[in-house]
Amino acid sequence: MSRARILMSRENRLSGILFAPEKKVPSRSWPLMKGRNTRLPSNSVSWAAKVLAVTRKDITAEFRTRYAINSILMFALVTLTVISVALGISTPDSDLMAALFWVILFFASMSGLAQVFIREEESGTALILKLSTDGLVIFFGKLIFNLLLLTILSILIVPLFIILLKVTPQNWAIFLVGLILGDIGLAGATTIIAAIVAKATVKGTLFTVLSFPILLPLLLAVIEITKVAFGGGGFADISLPLQVLIPYDVVMVTISVMLFDFVWRQ
Amino acid sequence: MWWKILIFTAMSAVIVAAFLTHSPMNPAVSLGDADVYRIFYFHVPQAWVAALAFVTSMVFSIQFLRTRNMDYDTKAVLAARLGLVFSILATVTGSIFARMTWGEFWNWSEIREVSIFILLIIYGAYFALRSALPNAETKATLSAVLSILFAVSAVFLIFILPRLYADYSQHPSDSVVDNEGQITMGATVAVIFFGSLAVFTALFAWIYNLSLRLARVADKNLPGYSK
Repeated sequence: MSRARILMSRENRLSGILFAPEKKVPSRSWPLMKGRNTRLPSNSVSWAAKVLAVTRKDITAEFRTRYAINSILMFALVTLTVISVALGISTPDSDLMAALFWVILFFASMSGLAQVFIREEESGTALILKLSTDGLVIFFGKLIFNLLLLTILSILIVPLFIILLKVTPQNWAIFLVGLILGDIGLAGATTIIAAIVAKATVKGTLFTVLSFPILLPLLLAVIEITKVAFGGGGFADISLPLQVLIPYDVVMVTISVMLFDFVWRQ
Repeated sequence: MWWKILIFTAMSAVIVAAFLTHSPMNPAVSLGDADVYRIFYFHVPQAWVAALAFVTSMVFSIQFLRTRNMDYDTKAVLAARLGLVFSILATVTGSIFARMTWGEFWNWSEIREVSIFILLIIYGAYFALRSALPNAETKATLSAVLSILFAVSAVFLIFILPRLYADYSQHPSDSVVDNEGQITMGATVAVIFFGSLAVFTALFAWIYNLSLRLARVADKNLPGYSK
């Protein structure tokens, strides 16, 4: 059995969740359909369960190769090392550290977030997934998986950043608000780009090229927030970037949801 | 034909007027050397056309997604291509102006420089994606989706950059319109400036129309022709 076929047969385990089970229509209300095997969209499996099934499938696939997580973490580690070696014993100001922190996070995430869709295209499982469920379920499933990846990345990179670069957030609450909203925006804006890039012939570099103009408002806002967190300001200081960041996260996810079907059905 | 003659005459008139008049742009705002700011007559319309082309391209992208008519894709690409040319022109002329006025070609704290750079990056990314996609319909759909995403991002950049970096800018923002939205230019300057704006817009429309007709002819005559 070829690799694609093995993967496909494994996909079939999902079908119990993703395919709606058959449901007989009462013949009273559909006299013309009497005796026929009719299918209606079923509500017996909730939408959230379907989304989580897609996420779970991706986690399983990821743990077989560990490609995305390895490349993200190694990239983050390498950039972190380069920066801390380059800085040596000099202690730059907190403004620069905030920018460097997001540079590391941005480029590390660029190396792995596109994998969710590239994997489907390369192993030939995209078609099965297309047949199994609708675009919205896929989109949110993949979005949650990317968010998980970014969470793991953040959990590992923050302590290393603090230890190696000798900078501590003066205000942890602001730092975490920036980090969480930044991660949500990063995953929310790049998931649809990942779906676009998966169709292209050159995938790796294109993902960064396409993501950068879209992520720039996010990066500018989170860098401002992290500057305040490192410098020890209060919540009053970040009201302006927050006014940009929260609408950005909401709007980007909404627009992606609206446009995702065009990309996915292509 | 009369289009061509009209644009040629008007463009010549604008160029001659821009170099012959000595009217100060706005006595209240110091813009340095009087000769340097003549670039204003050409630079601002170029930036305007670059932005106009971006909006045109995005509108046709939306139209394509709604109707699935490949003609809209051709229209979107041609607008983007012209926009790329004009945004390069605007970047170069703006950079020369910055060098003559503030002593450096590039300064990241300049809002307008960042925004024109973003426009360049957006056009670059758009064409990078198009060159990496296999067939015409995939190309059309995915680049249409991308240009809508870029438009959303551009809206944020227009509102985020001026607010986050308001304190740093040296760009002469109140030379044309002051903070209350009133036009502050002198009468002579205003005539030449708005004349130039109109001519550049007409030039864009003319080149656009020409390239669109060319693309359609090429499409008809050569079945294997790829855009």
